[in-house]
Amino acid sequence: MVDGAVTEQTGVSTIEKPREIPEGWEPNVLAFACHYCAFAAADLAGVMRLSYPPNVKIIRLPCTGKLDHIHILRAFERGVDGVFVAG
Amino acid sequence: MKSGSNLERVIASGKMAVTAELGPPMSADPHEVIKKANILKGFCDAANITDCQTAVVRISSIAAAFIALREGLEPVMQMTCRDRNRIAMQADLLGAAALGLKNCLCIAGDHQMFSAAGKLKGHPGAKNVYDVDTCQLVGIMRKMRDEGLQQGGDKLEVAPKFFIGASWTPMGDPMDFRPYNLKKKVDAGADFIQTQGIYDMELFRSQMEKARNLGLLERTAMLAGIIVPKSAMMLKYMDSSVAGVTVPKSLIERMNKAKEAAGDDKKKARELQEQEGIKITIELIQQALEIPGVRGVHIQAIEWESAIEPIVKAAGLYPRPTFPDA
Amino acid sequence: MIVGQQKPFDEIWEMVKGFKKVLVYGCNTCVAICHAGGGKEAEILTSLLRMKAAQEGVDLQVDHAAIERHCEPEFFEPLDEKVRTYDLVLSTACGVGVNFLADRLGGSMPVYPGINTTFYGGVPEAGFFVELCGGCGNCVLHLTGGICPIVRCSKSLMNGPCGGTNNGKCEVSNETDCAWFLIVERMKKLGTLEKLYEVQPPRDWSTGTHGGPRRVSLEHIRAYEEQEEKNAATEGRR
Repeated sequence: MVDGAVTEQTGVSTIEKPREIPEGWEPNVLAFACHYCAFAAADLAGVMRLSYPPNVKIIRLPCTGKLDHIHILRAFERGVDGVFVAG
Repeated sequence: MKSGSNLERVIASGKMAVTAELGPPMSADPHEVIKKANILKGFCDAANITDCQTAVVRISSIAAAFIALREGLEPVMQMTCRDRNRIAMQADLLGAAALGLKNCLCIAGDHQMFSAAGKLKGHPGAKNVYDVDTCQLVGIMRKMRDEGLQQGGDKLEVAPKFFIGASWTPMGDPMDFRPYNLKKKVDAGADFIQTQGIYDMELFRSQMEKARNLGLLERTAMLAGIIVPKSAMMLKYMDSSVAGVTVPKSLIERMNKAKEAAGDDKKKARELQEQEGIKITIELIQQALEIPGVRGVHIQAIEWESAIEPIVKAAGLYPRPTFPDA
Repeated sequence: MIVGQQKPFDEIWEMVKGFKKVLVYGCNTCVAICHAGGGKEAEILTSLLRMKAAQEGVDLQVDHAAIERHCEPEFFEPLDEKVRTYDLVLSTACGVGVNFLADRLGGSMPVYPGINTTFYGGVPEAGFFVELCGGCGNCVLHLTGGICPIVRCSKSLMNGPCGGTNNGKCEVSNETDCAWFLIVERMKKLGTLEKLYEVQPPRDWSTGTHGGPRRVSLEHIRAYEEQEEKNAATEGRR
């Protein structure tokens, strides 16, 4: 948050509204991974041609210490179903 | 005579004084006060009328004291610093004096949190006052009586003549400061002191010696507080949870024995413990009266006023002195 | 510092749910230190309110901002215009800040409190705050070994301790230290115990909250500021 400025999050529509869970639904998971360990492991998995489900999206962080409350909250606001922190 | 109260006369006569306690009910009906007053009448020189003890709403001390007075029992009204500011305190003191009350015990009062500590809902969210503390209230009352002045300095047409009391917890911690705590109350003007319940007489004796060395016992009349034990459970509770009260193991064991002697008979267990409690009280009174500087006893039989008569009689404190012109 | 605690979320929701455009306005001084109402907490609260609005199907825009202080006018200036575009300011500043901003906005829009202002306290360890001063306006700490009897004693006694001291703890709770027990022990260490032998007379409480709202006016500084303004005006005319 930048002091002396109003941070606007005008996109109310970006927030997913609650609804019925359909048949065969898979959760959207966001993974925050540390560049030096978990992300490297994911890289290695790629090299080894191991696959993981497409409903997991990975965000690389220089360190999981960089993770802030608001990153997780924003993820939920935008409809992510689960957050996975690895580091 | 500062007040001319019966309690003051007994103390001035050099005889051992006896005070008891009367707890007003949570009711607008005066009969409970009348009943208790008649049970106590003749067996004590005055009875303390508690002022919303444990912060629970009851008939006010002044009103109940007036009812007791009408029944022929001299009351010691109590005034806590919890519920009134100095304006209300002084107004109530004038009113109490106008009604003929002559003794007043000043106390800080249990914190309002206490009101919900037991089974009652109480008023733990109440705002307390503590405009002045006990020492200051004692000082205000003395200034009114001796100088005819209000705390703020305004003159009183007629001064209220109270025999002024304060409480003392001789075995509360920090124990080495407690004699000085007493000194402050005496310096402020306390004519008599009623102590917290004492079971450990040796410890009390040593605290009294310190008070004597400070020259306090010539300046105030010390009434040793004795709480009549009803059961082993009550003694254990007081030992572990009541501030400033320690109960020697031997006393708890005596009560336990009385309880066990009844076997499975619960009614008998209660009776035997009550008998033992009265016996213990009588012994404690006799021990207390032997301590140099003790001028009487304050016997508290909580919700058990009928215990006072046999105790006072067996302790050799009956009949109570009377004064022809009183 | 001033210590506060965020109000329960449901209470906040009840306050804001009828509005359309809400600004959660944090203060980055005292209430940021106690993790109640700084920029970060304002941002988190904003996110929670947006999610709640979505769940409830309420059309509500919630944004956040924070400035360094909510108790002096200069800090508000850069954001004044923006703030006025909202229907409601949910201030996470202390009560001083809520009052100050509400006065500044002069009734043009409401300012609601997002936190409960609790006390003046210290931070003996991270995440732990204790009340240490009552702001009574008539300090007696020189008489009591640096321990405040007004707020650290449950009965504000000036001639303590009372009979409720139990193993050094207060009768109110066995987790609360008896202030007068601490005072006696401290005065012993300082070698000034005899100061406690004197009866302290009834206090004059009019210096506290009992004498009506209080003000402190430093005339020399106000006069200087006034002169500076005059000078600036004269300069301007030249």
